[in-house]
Amino acid sequence: METVIRGLVLYVLLMLIFRVSGKRTLYDATVFDFVLLLIIAETAEQALVGEDQSMTNSFVLIITLLLADITLSLLKQKFNYFGKVLDGVPIILLDDGKVLHDRLKKVRVDEADILESARDPQGLQRLDQIKYAILEKDGKITIIPKEK
Amino acid sequence: MKKHKGELEIDEDIKLESANWKAQRVAWVLMALVVIAALLGFTGNGGIGDLHRLKAGNSTEGLEVECERFLRRGAPSEFKVQLAPSSGDSHTDLQLSKNFYEKLEVDKVVPEPSEVFTHEQGITYRFASVNQPFTVIFYLKPKAMGSVPLHISTAGKKVNITPFIYP
Repeated sequence: METVIRGLVLYVLLMLIFRVSGKRTLYDATVFDFVLLLIIAETAEQALVGEDQSMTNSFVLIITLLLADITLSLLKQKFNYFGKVLDGVPIILLDDGKVLHDRLKKVRVDEADILESARDPQGLQRLDQIKYAILEKDGKITIIPKEK
Repeated sequence: MKKHKGELEIDEDIKLESANWKAQRVAWVLMALVVIAALLGFTGNGGIGDLHRLKAGNSTEGLEVECERFLRRGAPSEFKVQLAPSSGDSHTDLQLSKNFYEKLEVDKVVPEPSEVFTHEQGITYRFASVNQPFTVIFYLKPKAMGSVPLHISTAGKKVNITPFIYP
């Protein structure tokens, strides 16, 4: 029983912590973000398994976590608003060529990040070539270029 | 799906996102408070100042108990007892309430007691007397959670101490 409770408590706790850390925290991870992620994973593992290293415990834990994930995705599908609260919504950062600076500040993204996303798949060189830049729910910035 | 400026199909909800940004800022403050509380010793494992130490009794009166105010379940901890030997007796008895062995796992006792026995009130550790005050250290791991009231007594003195165990 304890394994299930441990699993669920940690699942909810981690979800909350990463949700309030903001979208950009672990997206586009730098080397340091990667190290941070490894440390968090290791710490969480200890809290999840405790001293019980049995196969049964691991098995119960894995099933609990997967079931929690499935339940959550079903809930998100059924209650649209719940999904929006949990995952966030896409946010327009650059609207019809105009940079929305107050939003950039709020989501901790700067113009360099937008330019980086503009260069990567699209090969754009300047901000004025971008029509829309959108911060997606997963923290990725998508770029829609201006029509020539 | 809503259309932004008649062309971009996007499910943007700036009201919800603004609320989310506010909630994020509040959560960051809470996270900072957790770290400050941990530094001050509210989560155990040491801390600034003397807040994390829990003491009861007085060594000059013959019995003093010291442990951490906040313990963590499964994390090793120490429980220190300073005792004065009972006069004239060849041994000194230290009696602890039932909670002590039911909610805490005693890994080691230094010095080793000559005899240990349980009874209705709890558990008694009997130490061979050395005719001068001595310290007993219990190395233990908490098994339970929450407040654990402990009653510790010798032949002439009784003290109570209530550490808190985090999950």
